[in-house]
Amino acid sequence: MTDAVDAVVIGGGINGTGVARDLTLRGLRVALFERNDLAFGASGNSSGMIHGGVRYLSRAPHVTETSCKDSGYIQRIAPHLLFRIPFLMPLANGPAARIGFELVDAYFRAYDDYQPYKRGELHCRLTPQEIAELEPGLVGETVGGVTFDEWGVDGVRLCVLNAVDAIERGATMQVGTTAESIRPLAEAERTAGAARYAVTARDRATGRIATVKARVVVNATGAWAPITAALGQLPEPAVRVRPGKGVHVVLDRRIGNYGILSEAIDGRQIFVYPWQNASLIGTTDDDYYGDLDDVRATSEEVRYLVQGIARVFPSIRLARPIATYGAVRPTLYAYGKSEDALSRDHRIVDHAARGAPGVYSMIGGKLASYRLFAQELCDLVAPRDFSVDAPCTTHTQPLPGGDHVPDAVALAAQYGVTPVAARRLVYRHGSRAIAIFDRMKEDARDRDVVCACEPVMEGEVRHAVRSELATSVQAVARRTRLGLGACGGMRCAARCGQIVAQELGRSPAFAAETALEFLEQSARSRVVALTPAQARQEALTAAHVRASLGEFP
Amino acid sequence: MSREAHSGAADVVVAGAGIAGTGAALAAAAAGASVIVLDGGTGASHLATGAVDVRPWSLARLADEPIDAGVRTVLDALDAYAVPDGGAAILTSAGVIRPARGHDRAILDVRGVRGRVGVVACRRPGWDAAWLAAAWNDARAPFALGAAFEPLDAAIVRYQDEEVLPEADFAARHDDSARLDWLAERLREAMARAGGIFAAIVLPPMLGVARARAGELARTLAVRAGEASALPGGPAGLRFEAARDRAFAVAGIARIAARVSAIGGPGGPIVCDDGRTFRAPAVVLATGGLLGGGLTYAPSEATMVAELPHEASPPLRLSVMAPVVLGAHGRPLESPGTLFGYSPEAVSWPFAREPLLEQAGVLTGFSSGEDQAPPDASPLFAAGDVAADVPRTFLAALASGTAAGEKAARRSR
Repeated sequence: MTDAVDAVVIGGGINGTGVARDLTLRGLRVALFERNDLAFGASGNSSGMIHGGVRYLSRAPHVTETSCKDSGYIQRIAPHLLFRIPFLMPLANGPAARIGFELVDAYFRAYDDYQPYKRGELHCRLTPQEIAELEPGLVGETVGGVTFDEWGVDGVRLCVLNAVDAIERGATMQVGTTAESIRPLAEAERTAGAARYAVTARDRATGRIATVKARVVVNATGAWAPITAALGQLPEPAVRVRPGKGVHVVLDRRIGNYGILSEAIDGRQIFVYPWQNASLIGTTDDDYYGDLDDVRATSEEVRYLVQGIARVFPSIRLARPIATYGAVRPTLYAYGKSEDALSRDHRIVDHAARGAPGVYSMIGGKLASYRLFAQELCDLVAPRDFSVDAPCTTHTQPLPGGDHVPDAVALAAQYGVTPVAARRLVYRHGSRAIAIFDRMKEDARDRDVVCACEPVMEGEVRHAVRSELATSVQAVARRTRLGLGACGGMRCAARCGQIVAQELGRSPAFAAETALEFLEQSARSRVVALTPAQARQEALTAAHVRASLGEFP
Repeated sequence: MSREAHSGAADVVVAGAGIAGTGAALAAAAAGASVIVLDGGTGASHLATGAVDVRPWSLARLADEPIDAGVRTVLDALDAYAVPDGGAAILTSAGVIRPARGHDRAILDVRGVRGRVGVVACRRPGWDAAWLAAAWNDARAPFALGAAFEPLDAAIVRYQDEEVLPEADFAARHDDSARLDWLAERLREAMARAGGIFAAIVLPPMLGVARARAGELARTLAVRAGEASALPGGPAGLRFEAARDRAFAVAGIARIAARVSAIGGPGGPIVCDDGRTFRAPAVVLATGGLLGGGLTYAPSEATMVAELPHEASPPLRLSVMAPVVLGAHGRPLESPGTLFGYSPEAVSWPFAREPLLEQAGVLTGFSSGEDQAPPDASPLFAAGDVAADVPRTFLAALASGTAAGEKAARRSR
């Protein structure tokens, strides 16, 4: 890593990688440190919706507007990564149901104003008969319902693509590296009047320490932001978040045609929607005071979600939960409000007011508006700290692979892989799938499928390690959805570990260790949602893991 | 015998057809009892990787744990496993070398092999010979092995579909003697090309499902040959089933496909899911580990009801109506919901260091035989992973099964 850059970004989530990309596109040199992995926190564990913020329409309509606008931009720069999710909101019949229906209809009519920003369809008003035809799995007598349009995205991929683009344009990034101090440089240490801070970061695996001097330091560490801001004896900053835990349950198949909104037992809105080849139930929102590095769903949270959806869609109990995930939102701080009533807006905290000019904290924000948040920060920082007037181009420059979406079926025929495997590769990599396919020609093994559930080919695992900063089976799984099948990775983890070890030049023992680590994490995320038959399989999986890899560490 | 209609009666009914149930059935039959085995389907024995242990292998070294006479008799009847003196060293297809007390005869034991060992390099899913050779070379030290692994290019994949064929299907093709000869020919060519003498050849899991073909192959080649142990669902589990069925046929044991749903009180019937009932003076319960049968995990989320029950219901359900106490840490479990009692997280993912079955108090009184059984219990004998206080391994399950079978046969007289 170079020892002097223009800006150090701390945090490899969507805000950090988004800012790194934006600054790099404006010609600035950036170094980024990430304590865990890219998209480790809220960015990689959200609902994966580039939604228009319909729930904020009444409380904070400007959040809805910015979200919708940016949804349009993200479609432009990463068309391969977005998929349309039509939502259906059934309304139960009962006293005053008609008035309620009219109010909901009016609400979504207001939302229609924002749909053109994101190529969304206008809402539809449905009769009970139409609802029954569109979604036969729904139960209960309805007064009617509405549909509205949203877009889904793989949050991890979005984050990785921002990182890869920044790296290709000259940024340096280190994952598994914790920023440990932000030290103001004394006058004597300052060279050519540029750098103002020295940021020290420790590689958590090797213990090696790197020091980078920079003029600007951006704290983009999400729920970790208060911890990061407190580094290096900076004066007590006004950096506070109200960490809100949200969990999701992944079911093994698409159980409906639409995203379905329902009410949980406490009246909060929850949903189930088709998410690529699976279904996703989300989400909870509870204050969280636990370990930010180890956020997991609990069986109570799973029960809360399943119960809430099963009221309107009972057949979800027949589907098989294959994963759960949890993360902590860095919600803007407020005292005395319920979790749901907190603002999803974002804010830039300028530490100059506290005696640290050039240090900025990014607080709050949503996946859907990450690009705008990054732009706001860079529009402030570039002229002020660097006298750079270059305009923001993150909404016009395609992300890697986003220049065009190749025909997956044609690629499948050309390279001799199954259309499903080709389709998944194109989904994740856009036009860059072609380059990955081309490299597979060098070794026929690269076309072998490692994970049959997703499916993921060996060549893509190698690509994740070579070009996307993956350093473990867990990191490969995060980037590719490897192991997110009914088997929980029991047939692919060992092979994936071998490939990761090969690419990193690590030992066979490391290969087994990283595979075991992934299997343990994945098992721990599943057990809270097990069905009886699955519980038996889990026991057998554990037995198998012991039989060929050894005990969990 | 009562006059009520039932689907079968015998001196001993064994619930479960894994290795514990197999041991119980063969031992009871050898003691002169008539035996019915109720087979509820796939379990741990069927997913076996081919290596067999007395103690969990991570705790074992290449120790020569004694095999008692009853177990030896059953192993001889199965005629499918080798338990060499001093134990075995098994190569796993995940790139690890593991100690084992014995192995399915298709699996290569590299203990005592000195010299070059060819790792067959071919297009099979997840099989990277160069990597495996390096990984096994790396893992040799604790075993003081004299083997030096190297990839050996051999065109042993005959048809293109075999590049992606599941292990068991690929192995089934080598039940054919002509195909096995063809394989031997390819391996001979490969060794000739690679020059020099090989001490052994290791192949992907592929050497037969009806029987282990490793011995035949080794005789043809005049070189030791065998498989690396497989992932679950590989050929070793099918070879177990085939060996079991042959041994049952010889011993005159009936195996009936049925899952036991309830075992009644004293002298009560054994009821299956499909409504069939069986009667026997002695019953061996060998339905597998915590979640494999006897005790099932049944959270209310999994039931198709409009509203979940308000009160917490136990997430664990016993499918056997025998007088057992469900408890934890020596006390009965009063409210085993998720908030106040046993967490499904802990129950569903039993770590070796958390002996959950023992903690839950299930059937512990039966594990050492009839003496400790509650006086009003039907003569119920626990075998294999369903019993507590035994390591959950293939040979320990076989030992407890054999002991339970002998006792059940005595009780039935």
